[in-house]
Amino acid sequence: MRRRLNEAIVFVAGVAMLAVPAVVTDRYVLKVLTFVGLNTIVVIGLALLFGYAGQVSLGHAAFFGIGAYTSARLVMSFGLPWVLSVVGAAVVAALAGWAVAVPGLRLRGHYLAMATLGFNEIMSVAFVEARPVTGGNDGLGGVPFPSFGSFELKTPSALFVLVWAVALLVWLAARNIVRSRPGRAMRALHCTEPGALASGVDVAAVKVRVFALSAGLAGLAGALFAHSVGFISPSSFGLDLSVLLVAAVVLGGRESLSGPIVAMAVLTLLQYLGALLPGLPRQAAEAIQDWVPDIVGATLIAVLIARARGGAPVRAKEALGRGAR
Amino acid sequence: MRGKPVRALAALTAIVLASAGLAGCGAKQEAGGGGETKKEPYRIGVVVSLTGTYAGLGTPEKQAMEMERDRINAEGGVNGHPIELIFEDDATDPAKAAAAATKLIDQDGVIAIIGATGTAQTMAMRSEIQRAGVPQVSMAGGSVITDQFDPLVFQTPWPNRVVVPFVLKAIAKKGYTKIALISDTGGFGKDGHDIIVKEAPAAGITIVADETFNPGDTDVSSQLTKIRAANPDAVLMWNAGKEAALVAKGMKQLGMKQPLFGGHGNARKEFIEGAGDAAEGFVFAAGKILIPEAYGTGTEAYKVATDFIESFNAKYGKAPDTFAGHAHDALMIVVDALRRVEGEVTPAKLRDAIEQTKGLVGVGGTFTFSSTDHNGLSESDIVLYRVENGAWVLDER
Amino acid sequence: MTSADVLQFVASGLQNGAIYALVALGFTLVFASTGIINFAQGEFYMLGGMLVAAGVAAGVPLGVSVAGAVVITSAVGCLIERAVLRPVRSAGPLALIIITIGCSMLLKSWIRHLFGPDERAVPPFSGSEPVALAGALIQPQVLWVLGITVVAAAGLTVLYRWTRLGLAMRACSISHDAARIVGIDTARVVMLSFGLSGALGALAGAVVAPITQTAYDVGARMGLKGFAAAVLGGLGDPVGAIVGGLVLGLLESGAVAVVSGTYKDAVALVVLLLVLVLRPQGIIGRHLGEKL
Repeated sequence: MRRRLNEAIVFVAGVAMLAVPAVVTDRYVLKVLTFVGLNTIVVIGLALLFGYAGQVSLGHAAFFGIGAYTSARLVMSFGLPWVLSVVGAAVVAALAGWAVAVPGLRLRGHYLAMATLGFNEIMSVAFVEARPVTGGNDGLGGVPFPSFGSFELKTPSALFVLVWAVALLVWLAARNIVRSRPGRAMRALHCTEPGALASGVDVAAVKVRVFALSAGLAGLAGALFAHSVGFISPSSFGLDLSVLLVAAVVLGGRESLSGPIVAMAVLTLLQYLGALLPGLPRQAAEAIQDWVPDIVGATLIAVLIARARGGAPVRAKEALGRGAR
Repeated sequence: MRGKPVRALAALTAIVLASAGLAGCGAKQEAGGGGETKKEPYRIGVVVSLTGTYAGLGTPEKQAMEMERDRINAEGGVNGHPIELIFEDDATDPAKAAAAATKLIDQDGVIAIIGATGTAQTMAMRSEIQRAGVPQVSMAGGSVITDQFDPLVFQTPWPNRVVVPFVLKAIAKKGYTKIALISDTGGFGKDGHDIIVKEAPAAGITIVADETFNPGDTDVSSQLTKIRAANPDAVLMWNAGKEAALVAKGMKQLGMKQPLFGGHGNARKEFIEGAGDAAEGFVFAAGKILIPEAYGTGTEAYKVATDFIESFNAKYGKAPDTFAGHAHDALMIVVDALRRVEGEVTPAKLRDAIEQTKGLVGVGGTFTFSSTDHNGLSESDIVLYRVENGAWVLDER
Repeated sequence: MTSADVLQFVASGLQNGAIYALVALGFTLVFASTGIINFAQGEFYMLGGMLVAAGVAAGVPLGVSVAGAVVITSAVGCLIERAVLRPVRSAGPLALIIITIGCSMLLKSWIRHLFGPDERAVPPFSGSEPVALAGALIQPQVLWVLGITVVAAAGLTVLYRWTRLGLAMRACSISHDAARIVGIDTARVVMLSFGLSGALGALAGAVVAPITQTAYDVGARMGLKGFAAAVLGGLGDPVGAIVGGLVLGLLESGAVAVVSGTYKDAVALVVLLLVLVLRPQGIIGRHLGEKL
């Protein structure tokens, strides 16, 4: 009964989110909120990988970029319909994730972090240098809007609805995954790998699959990003984003989807704080823009300190996790 | 545990709705300040990089425009209207630049946008510019900005396609035919690199070594070792960053006696400070702002440039760099066009007026736009400099 | 390619490698005593250079500036540990790592607020006339870089092998609980390791600034290199950090010689990834078990 009520609340909240454009008409606010939706999709993937399965990745911005460039190219050079190009982008990103995950099986902890970080840096070089494909530093402009047949989604409100609808679907799918057998396997291997192995979990297969799934979701978000912004360049897919995503998952807490989503939403919105706060004198808005890195940094520190001090359940859970390893 | 996701979702929805609602209210607020003049201010949006990689470029740009805005408003504004500048920091991120353009257009209702600092950021704003039909004056140097021509987009720095042939001709004139090229892999370096490779044969120059380094590298002596082995007559470097000093010092370290040439990306006092005595004899091309005497004392350009340099010095305690100059010119171009618009100012009329700019003397050169040329500068706006005793002098040899 | 050229590539590789090694040592010291990766390590490097530049610009003698920069940065390291990490140590290593990310954002941003975004020059410690060393020409400052790396490595070895503090540090790197049981003040050891890593980072930043100039944003990139070097050598092992740093430096300069400057970083990283796949514990590292 309780469960059903929760599901209903989720559904209502999701629909409420999709109805935002009915209330908000400001294009800028809708755009910023669309960015939040895109980051939500990426962070759900990373939460599955890192928060549930315990596999760190500092390379998710690269998968995001792979998705963006793949989808843009599929539409612009090969004339693929938009829907197919987005699916193609997710598949290519997932394959890239698979290619990273298989050798990564040998690595754990900080070494896996270094390997994925190295992958991100290598891809950054590739994005700059593969100019016939990516447009290099100058970027790739004129990426067409999403379209179904001849129907184009080009208003910020339409793009908002599209992105958040996808985000909602991804969330529902992820919730199903973590509640079902694969989710239990992921949690098991996070707690204790030998234990998971002993209980019949194919640890290697689970790791590779969840990595590919996670990368695929980042690629999906990247594809949506390319078509909704219309311009992509390598600086959008750098290490900064990867680090912020990992921070959001840690901030949001282990074995949670909603925690990382909220954390990432806050970290994203903070970057636009100066423009989003109402009634702010211009000078103050400019000053806030100047202090955005400080605000984000201080938020990371403050939230983690506050949680460690106050949040007993979290601490107990983390301690349990540590002890088990 | 079970209630947690729901609560979090509710929290997220609340945050999103609240910020949406708040910003919605904020959008329509009136701008404060400058209430002395009776007429409505002209609102101009400015997108600059104040944080991130290009912070060192965007910061002086903002300073120059604030100074000019205050001067113009103190003199009674434009046609009796004060100028209001709305600054947005794109944090050197193209997606943020595009969002900033949306904000400036939709929330602030600006009549023109100046910016961005970087080429990718400038290009990222284009679809918004086109949608709203608002003219854009970019302070970024990438050739692509005006090569991919758009009737709405103008550009103030000297583009590589103007500076590169000038430098190559100067090198050839000094009798060097075999040169080594060293450029960075950033946008500016790559853009210049490609134009150099394309234009070299026309100037009678062969490139015998072609090396690159990445922005942020801490040593380029390996690249220079390869160049030394190729034995060129001269070395041409094309970059815009602190690594230029590494190239100059590296050549000295390796005992390379070849002359070193460069472009407007090296017209920074930080280069001379960083390279020290290794900078001596370095020859580069840049606009005349470094030594306004190049315009000829008594010319209007000389007066504009020295006025700008002196007031910048007085206000900020340092000489303006070329980026400050580009920003000054961008604002001046918009203001000049505003003065010429008849009747009520609309973005469309302003665009037309900007395109009709003729013989407008800025600190970076004299701007004359046309329906096919939205940069408006030519080789006559640049000049060769040489570093001598730790300072720039005109290279007239 | 002549042998002089080859020597020149080696010299360039060693110069960069020595810097990477110093930064990697900082990573490794903190990792050994806490099991966390300190993402602010790159900012210690930045602080070292920027504080020296600021000191020199304010008329403080160079030597005093360098000493001051090292002391201040070391204090910053201790402060980070004491003020923001120790109170939440129970939250687990991941939370601590993210806190160091927050600290690095703050340090970088504060330095920009204080000194502006432009790069700053630092005069060389002793002249700028190139010297010949075994056929390679180098700037005198490079001798300082190499010398300080050797001294720092030797100092750390002495500290680790022959002092009570070093013994305590090694004990902490094996097990905090066991160290506490035998009466070691582990909290003090952890704080000192942060202070020491701050000093090493600042020293690296200060000694290399005369060659490269410095700016508020040089930390992230150097942090990446130092982390790569520490992992390449094997996390938690000081010898590994130095070997990793030098190997990474040589790899990069070799990549320039054979491939190009454009792909230098990518080539070095590919090699690093290959090494990791073949030897997941790094070149020198032992299997330490999971720390994350």
